[in-house]
Amino acid sequence: MVMISGFILTVLVYAVTKRMYRTLHFVLFSPILTSLLLLVFILASFHLSYRTYNQSASWLTDLLKPATVAFAIPLYKHFHILRKHAAEIVSGIAAGVVTAISSSVLLATSMHLQASVVNSLAPRSITTPIAMDVAREVGGVPVMTAVFVILTALIGLLAAPVVIRLLHIRSPLAQGTLYGTGAHGIGTSRAFEIGGLEGTISSLSMILAALFTLVLAPLGVPLLHQWLEFHIRM
Amino acid sequence: MLKWVQGAYQVLLLILFSALGDLIKRILHTPIPGSIFGLLLVFTLLFLKVIRLEWLETGASFLLANLLLLFVPSAVGIIQYQHLMEAEGVRIFLVIAISTVLVMTITGWTTERLSRKREQKQGLRLWS
Repeated sequence: MVMISGFILTVLVYAVTKRMYRTLHFVLFSPILTSLLLLVFILASFHLSYRTYNQSASWLTDLLKPATVAFAIPLYKHFHILRKHAAEIVSGIAAGVVTAISSSVLLATSMHLQASVVNSLAPRSITTPIAMDVAREVGGVPVMTAVFVILTALIGLLAAPVVIRLLHIRSPLAQGTLYGTGAHGIGTSRAFEIGGLEGTISSLSMILAALFTLVLAPLGVPLLHQWLEFHIRM
Repeated sequence: MLKWVQGAYQVLLLILFSALGDLIKRILHTPIPGSIFGLLLVFTLLFLKVIRLEWLETGASFLLANLLLLFVPSAVGIIQYQHLMEAEGVRIFLVIAISTVLVMTITGWTTERLSRKREQKQGLRLWS
């Protein structure tokens, strides 16, 4: 029973919080945030360890792989729009990826966080399974990265509407790239609530941002460290 | 009921494709995750009309509609880092918050500017 309790508990808590979000349609009640708080509270009250919980809850994490594959379907359905606007979409994502990696490393170093935390922050802007792989590659701690990835999305969910309003971003293309590059899969599910086009652009952005990061981070992170060291010595 | 069976069967198909993706990754020895190969494989097969949209559509919508649920267990992982969060949590939060706002600003601004430019050039509007 304990074996499968993490899985059942997560699904139950999620079902309840999702229903709650449907009535109270407000970002702070996003099921990812309310489920997290409720589950942490439950685990803490019953003195359950994360290891015990994750024995079966990790089945859900495993489903992220087929879910990533599932993005092929909306991509295929909206491919004509993507092909037509490839330049705007790809430029936005590329600029975002460079910003994500460099600002994370520069800010974290300037705040004197330890090297393993700095490197775990570097891939924080992309989807969990790929971010964990990149973290391993650049000398971070994959599990820590998984937590930073979620924090990124939670902050992103709150920040996105404000950024969109302040910058007067009206195009569905720009809203899509903003959500997908800034808040990966969780941002994408929010973008689908705005519209099918926004959601599809967001899922494409999430995938491309992950691929760009996969290539750029292993080259860029050591370069950023070298640059910082050089300037601190000066 | 039939919809559920169909959905479950299609999710199994997607799991199969992600396993195929893992296999491709292992053969090619790349750091690119298997799920990306699985995605490209499904996309290519759809494009070449080897497989049909209806074969996967229900399962895919089911997974994507419940995507947030799949992230919950990794989020709960935060409880393993209680000490780190007590000591460095505020700074980590600041890094993530500032960096996320920067990423969203630069990404959104770049795409918005370029799409406005194209709109002026071609006189077409994608939105009103």
